[in-house]
Amino acid sequence: MLLKDTATGNKLEAVVEPVTSKDFKIIKKDNARFDKFDWNRYERQEVYKLRLKNDETILGLTCLTEHTDEATNAIEIELLEVSTENIGEKKKLDNIGGCLIAFACREAFKRGHDGCVFLTPKTSLIAHYSAKYGFHHIALKTTQRPEGLMVLYGNGSRKLIKKYLEQ
Amino acid sequence: MKSLKDIEKKYTPEEMAEGLVFPGTQNPKERETALAEFRKFRKKIASVQSEKSKTISQLLQLKFLMEDYLNADTFNEDFHFGYFLKEYIRRLEKKNKEFAHEIDIDPTELSQVINKHRKPAEKLVFRLEIHSNKNFPAIMWFRLLEKERMYEVLHDRDLINSERKYVTQKLEFSF
Repeated sequence: MLLKDTATGNKLEAVVEPVTSKDFKIIKKDNARFDKFDWNRYERQEVYKLRLKNDETILGLTCLTEHTDEATNAIEIELLEVSTENIGEKKKLDNIGGCLIAFACREAFKRGHDGCVFLTPKTSLIAHYSAKYGFHHIALKTTQRPEGLMVLYGNGSRKLIKKYLEQ
Repeated sequence: MKSLKDIEKKYTPEEMAEGLVFPGTQNPKERETALAEFRKFRKKIASVQSEKSKTISQLLQLKFLMEDYLNADTFNEDFHFGYFLKEYIRRLEKKNKEFAHEIDIDPTELSQVINKHRKPAEKLVFRLEIHSNKNFPAIMWFRLLEKERMYEVLHDRDLINSERKYVTQKLEFSF
């Protein structure tokens, strides 16, 4: 998978790996770079980090939950965060979020879930998850959760894998 | 940890969607309601999934398993060339004989490769790339064979020792 250096346009090779307990200590210490969520709450869950192939600095994190029961049969993206310096208009590296979502899609194929991935959106982000990554919005019929869920599967997942992981 | 309001002050919704996924509800009842709705949707998409799409999913699963195995440092005796070939044929719902015919290989030869009684010939690897429409490139199958060979060379000294008698001269020093 390749990230793009926004200043030079150069492509840089990146990898996704499971987060170790040592990484959690680094994330806690380096909380200015990952300041949106409390990642230590997810220490016992399936958390992955994205880094450049030749650099140990963590650039993005995601927490995945696999739903193996036949009825759900999908992977949930519970949480995802790109490091502070790589989000917004002044970001240094591009495609970190896309690579992490595409990684979840790949896992969803690899584990036999037909590439089915879902996440809970904030209401204001629904249209943007669709436009940027091709998620479908499922409006749930409950009053407590007006935001519903965003789902990606089959061909949509394949497209994202091709775009972000097989460049 | 920043509040949603703080985050919204700093970034546009587009920027947020690009690099953030917020946690869903922590209320177990609400979460179960959401999952129940999701299951209805999941059932619906599964019911309309075409046979072609199912096959693609199965083959993608195999390809990604193969890729991860090739990139791993560990060796697994069960994951030999024949195992992945057998899985490729099984996921296409074909009989070995039918598949052997499709790539013009003797069915006995195919069976021997699958059961690890024979090393695959180059032509088989090339034909696998063609049969799979490049979805399983020859290089992937060769990497699998190379991984097996490396393990054999590292763990079976007899392979090298049996050649000792043919070497009449060797370097006298070692680095």
